[in-house]
Amino acid sequence: MKKKIKSILAAALSAVFVCGALAACGGNAESDAGEVDETGNTIVKIMFHVDSKSAEGVAYKKRIDAFNRAYADKKIKANASYVARSTGASNYETDLTNKKTEGTLADIITFDAPNCAAYANSDILYDISDIVPAETQNDFISLNKYDGKLYGLPIQESSAGFYYNKKIFREAGVDVSGYTVENPWTFEEFRDTCERIKNYCSVAAVDMRLDANKDETAPYLLYPLIYAAGGSFASEDGFTAKGYFDSDKSYDGFNFIKGLLDSKYTSNAIGATDFFTGKVGMYLSSGWTIPDIENDYKATFASRDDWGILPYPMGEAKASATGSWCFGITDNHHPDKSAAKELLLWMTTPESAKEITDATGMIPARRSVQTDYEKGSPEDVLMSQLKTTGKARPSTIAYPKFSSAFNLVIGGIKNGTDLRSLLSTNANELQTEMNKHKK
Amino acid sequence: MWKSTFIILAVFAAALFAIIVWDVFKGRRKKTRYRLRSSVTSYLMLLPAALLAFLFIMLPILYSLGYAFTDYYLLKPDDIHFIGFDNFVEIWHELVSKGTIYHAILNTLFFVVGVVPLQIGLALGLALFCNRKRRGVKIFKVCFFAPVVISLSVTSYLWLQILSPAPTGLLNSLLSVFGAKPHDWLGDPKTAMPSIIVLSAWQGAGYQMLIFSAGLSNVREDLYEAAALDGAGAWKKFTCVTWPGIRSSFVFVIITVFIGACRIMTQPMLMTGYQLHTVTLSYYMYTRGYSDRWVGLSSAVALVMTIFIGAITLVQRRVFREKA
Repeated sequence: MKKKIKSILAAALSAVFVCGALAACGGNAESDAGEVDETGNTIVKIMFHVDSKSAEGVAYKKRIDAFNRAYADKKIKANASYVARSTGASNYETDLTNKKTEGTLADIITFDAPNCAAYANSDILYDISDIVPAETQNDFISLNKYDGKLYGLPIQESSAGFYYNKKIFREAGVDVSGYTVENPWTFEEFRDTCERIKNYCSVAAVDMRLDANKDETAPYLLYPLIYAAGGSFASEDGFTAKGYFDSDKSYDGFNFIKGLLDSKYTSNAIGATDFFTGKVGMYLSSGWTIPDIENDYKATFASRDDWGILPYPMGEAKASATGSWCFGITDNHHPDKSAAKELLLWMTTPESAKEITDATGMIPARRSVQTDYEKGSPEDVLMSQLKTTGKARPSTIAYPKFSSAFNLVIGGIKNGTDLRSLLSTNANELQTEMNKHKK
Repeated sequence: MWKSTFIILAVFAAALFAIIVWDVFKGRRKKTRYRLRSSVTSYLMLLPAALLAFLFIMLPILYSLGYAFTDYYLLKPDDIHFIGFDNFVEIWHELVSKGTIYHAILNTLFFVVGVVPLQIGLALGLALFCNRKRRGVKIFKVCFFAPVVISLSVTSYLWLQILSPAPTGLLNSLLSVFGAKPHDWLGDPKTAMPSIIVLSAWQGAGYQMLIFSAGLSNVREDLYEAAALDGAGAWKKFTCVTWPGIRSSFVFVIITVFIGACRIMTQPMLMTGYQLHTVTLSYYMYTRGYSDRWVGLSSAVALVMTIFIGAITLVQRRVFREKA
């Protein structure tokens, strides 16, 4: 009897497991445009690179909710997933490449602008040249193109500059009001300013963010200085680094950074908050620092009379940082991109751009977004710099290797390695990488 | 991908079946009383473990072995070609031109040579200290073991605060009391790897301390008494009584610490980033495989590393076995 009960129990348990497994295997039906749920909605999956609870994540969520309300009649529903990008082992990119391998890519993804070439070349991104109307394309400050085709629409734009402590400059008697985006300072004037303010700064005259060479921050903030010196990193097609990355002009650009360190205008020993507590005169950073200064460091910077932003210095040329994250439609298993197109265009409307940039403090990607920045204000400096001197990072499939090569050069500068040999070694390794992609 | 998995799975199933048939056949040839039923039962009981080991250990190893001879690029999983020994040739070229892998190998060797004796010595010292039968020793044991249970990422961030190059960094603040200038401990190639060695030994020694403690508890008390009667001092007692008693624990510890040290990655990744003076072989392998997306090349590095670690481990076992 006991045996019988045991057998019945075992059989019942097995049946439950089998039913559970079958239920797990089941799901929404598939159409060419995406999954179709039980109520007939076509599901468009979108993947974001931020935490859903962050200010940026909340802004995305609001736009997704608004889309779902607006498209309820058209039976299109957006389904968002959030994979926060972390430093070092960047979860988002890993997840993205894993999904590509599994064949489960979302219909729309966000991606960092420098990854455009690699993703387009690997068929992760779908050519949206014909999907996005010409007038919409023209409204963007920049577009993410590779090989002449459009692959991404920027979520927002970014620019960087030198935040400066006006109190320190006043004490040192240094007037920088003449250094504008139209008439930027030169490398020599930059060094001269550092010399004049250094005695008024307890730690260093300028924080060049040399400590930020663990990830993309240092390449993003420092690459314009190499362009400004007349240098470059790679050929137009993105397949040649030798002769560009280690050219004399590129050497001059990196040597400018090295000179600041040698002259003790900047240092390896600058604490993360030293500028914000009045120990450093200038601080190289992007627009994302504006909300930090205004919200968290009122003791040092009570009002906008206490701080400002100066443009990048110029050498032979003018250049400033650009590039941010973008939306792109993926070349996944759904051949009909009509539903994905609707969501892409929705997420990049001027309203979306405004809502997202209000949350992030970045510059709207579309020209038609009304920005009432006061002339000469920090936001105005960044915006006009972006429009006039913005120059993108090199477009190459081997971008990850470029990024690590750049960081290795900065690391070498910090510990006093010979700059010529540093550039030569890293140019060789970058070239080997590019040759592999060329095959 | 599925096709190759099924082929490997089929080979595995065939190999398992062959072992069973051979076992049955051997039993019959020896004319021993062979009970087919109990034998099949034992194999069936073995099957879940064998299957799991195959799926999670053997399969990734076999795949990695195969990828080492291909141009597998992470973003093009459907476009993999056999390229023979090209990946190994590339590794060789980078090595002789003193590229990043050259520094990665040197740094890994430096780390292993530094951390293995330091960590084992520290663990042994702590175990000897905790083995004394005194009041409150257990509290020390818990304290010494505490770093082991903290995540390596958390420990790395804690030590980042200690080793911060700013004058306000904990170590720099402490040294400034003696008039020392602030130092960039992790940025200076001379102090970066030694700092990581100290942190790693501090973090890991607690675990080996427990193993040594277990070994020490097996050393009989009367042996110490006999040695004392023979007039042995503390050092003589250690070399003639304690050391032979914990020798097997020592062999286990040295092999596991060595293998763990060869795989170091988290600390340099979080504390310095990808820099020539701290990049290690595992970090290089990870960067080439995930950041640069060359899975084939990364697998080739993994294969070379496995052969290298395996060879040294075999030598270690041989050396210590002969002396035992």
